[in-house]
Amino acid sequence: MKKRWRKLISVLVSGTMILTLAACGGGESSENTQADNGEGKKVIKFFHRFPDEPYNTFIEEKIAEYEENHPDIDIEIMSAQNDPYKEKIKVLVGSEDCPDIFFSWPGEFSERFIREDLVLDMTPYFEEDPEWKDSLLESQMAQYTTSDGMIYGIPFRLDAKIWFYNKDIFEECGISELPTTWEEFLDVCETIKSKGYIPIAYGNVDKWPASLLIGALNLMTVSDEVRDQDYTPQTAEFTDPGYVEAMEYYQELIPYFTEGAQGTTWDIARNGFSQGKAAMFYPEVVEIPYILAENPDINMGMFSFPVIEGEGDPSILPGSPEGFLVSSKTEYPDECMEFLKWFLGPEVGAEMAKEVNWFNASKEAVNGIEDPMLKDAYNVIAQAESMSPWFDNVLYSTVKEEYYTQLSDLTNGDVTPQEAMEKIQEVVKESKSLIGEEESSE
Amino acid sequence: MSRKKYIPYLYILPGLLMVVFFVFIPVISNIVYSFFRLSSYSSDASFVGLDNYRRLFSDDTFFTMLKNNILYALFSFVFQIGFGTVIALMLESKLAGRFRNIYRNIYFMPSLVSLVAVGLLFTFIYTPDLGLLNSALRALGLEQWTQAWLGDSKYAIYCIILMSQWQWVGYNVVLLVVAIQNVPSDYLEAATIDGAGAVKKAWYVTIPLIKEQILVCSIIAIIGAFKLFTEVYSTTAGGPGDKTQVLGLYLYQNAFLHDDLGMAAATGVFIFVVTVVISIFQIRITKSGQV
Repeated sequence: MKKRWRKLISVLVSGTMILTLAACGGGESSENTQADNGEGKKVIKFFHRFPDEPYNTFIEEKIAEYEENHPDIDIEIMSAQNDPYKEKIKVLVGSEDCPDIFFSWPGEFSERFIREDLVLDMTPYFEEDPEWKDSLLESQMAQYTTSDGMIYGIPFRLDAKIWFYNKDIFEECGISELPTTWEEFLDVCETIKSKGYIPIAYGNVDKWPASLLIGALNLMTVSDEVRDQDYTPQTAEFTDPGYVEAMEYYQELIPYFTEGAQGTTWDIARNGFSQGKAAMFYPEVVEIPYILAENPDINMGMFSFPVIEGEGDPSILPGSPEGFLVSSKTEYPDECMEFLKWFLGPEVGAEMAKEVNWFNASKEAVNGIEDPMLKDAYNVIAQAESMSPWFDNVLYSTVKEEYYTQLSDLTNGDVTPQEAMEKIQEVVKESKSLIGEEESSE
Repeated sequence: MSRKKYIPYLYILPGLLMVVFFVFIPVISNIVYSFFRLSSYSSDASFVGLDNYRRLFSDDTFFTMLKNNILYALFSFVFQIGFGTVIALMLESKLAGRFRNIYRNIYFMPSLVSLVAVGLLFTFIYTPDLGLLNSALRALGLEQWTQAWLGDSKYAIYCIILMSQWQWVGYNVVLLVVAIQNVPSDYLEAATIDGAGAVKKAWYVTIPLIKEQILVCSIIAIIGAFKLFTEVYSTTAGGPGDKTQVLGLYLYQNAFLHDDLGMAAATGVFIFVVTVVISIFQIRITKSGQV
């Protein structure tokens, strides 16, 4: 008898183990059927990248509000931090589990999904509803439009880079006029340095900060046509001498950066600015809430990037909205668009500006803002004639990595601008063979 | 009788299936993937032969990575195995006195902290302006020794290596202490009677008897050196420039930043070959299994 029991148990144990193994593979399908049957609601999966507070709560509250008013809709929220988000979404978008609505940056980050036909074309929705289209800032929507006119996303928050300065330090250093040209800017840096302050708060351990500063300089040293060509991965060459010039201008700033900038994170550098150790800072406007949280009494102002005479166009503002896309595989495209129209529209926009100090692309969002600093920042973006997406977002990923690496070496003085560009050009050439293969295999 | 023959195999089956599913199949499919170009969001795969390997070996950063991984392995060997053995011997000698348990716990504690937390902690320690290290140097009047540490082209990789030595020495110490405690006391007594001092006893009796444990520890340390990823990812992500790039991070970047899964698989195969060769070599030279 005993022996039989033992056998039975061992068979049971091995049986359950095999079953667990099988269950690992079969999990997906059972989940899906459950969701569909669950109370007969239409399930929309929503994936964003703002898990930090207060933004996460804001998003959750708004979605709950929407679900209350639309009992047939059930929105499942998922979120991940910036860098993990980038990795996860790339895997998810191609899979059967693709979220219906997901966050994505405009430009190459989204366009590679469009090349694989994974993104819903929103153009017909806007054609049907021109009023909706008019209510959104044109310069911002342009960034979510492909070169052949397909609208593929709607901005959630606007963003741009602009110089901030500490008014108290400027006064103490006797600087009465804000710098408008590069020469004046360097003079101001020199004056501030001689008074014992850090002229420019800057931390480049994460490598992207340098690329954004170079992106702003490229706008002035490289002509629009050349830039357009190079900022499209399929036609990129990066052989224009303007790119080397931009690096040379960047080199002129290195002595004025936070000491040990290469070993300092961006957040710690920003803290140097908000605590009044550094006089100037080149942040994104979405960082205003962080600066104010670190020091609510800071007396700061803004000025636009000092003009460099060159081939480019100094009136272009570097910056880019961030927004949401709809998957082409979604079962409920109309419901998704209906939700986005509200979620990214004026009503929620005004509340967002008030509660978390972020703006969306609807023209009426500014009504909720009282803080003059925020109002200024909004106007800079709303009035910009044209904007240029974040430099690192337009580059093919291997080129971007090489740009990061070379700029980091340039900041440490390990390479010259000429050498750096030559290495980047090599990677650009190789990247084109990779893109070519991607397309020919389609 | 014949019915009973297959019963032992039934017992092996669950374990075998697990090993096959989670170890052998992934390893083999990884080798297959390394001959293709494939991305995570499209199902197309095109056969490229050895092209991924050509790109890996001709990459400018390949030698930087190899150098960094080898440096890490050498330091791990010296610190974790060399110093680790010395510390373990000292903890088990009369020197440690009655506080040996406390010492052991102190050494062991860093290895309980998660890798990412350690990375963040040391990022703060190494921060040039406010960091603990530079502040301490300034307080000691060694202003000229302050550096940008993680941002410095020369020192960054050593900063990361020393960080993980701090973390893992204690772990090896504990493993070696256990081995030392298993050394039969008769041998040591016999050596004492023969007139051997503490150093000679350690060298001629204890170390030969804990050889197997030292071997296991050094294989783990060196394989760990070639799989290195989190320590670099959470501090410099390969910077400044590509001065702290390592194989593990390169694999990850290819897989998740460049969507070049074939290239990542090729890097994985290279790491696999290197670690297998090193392990075989180590087992051979220490003649494992013989006392």
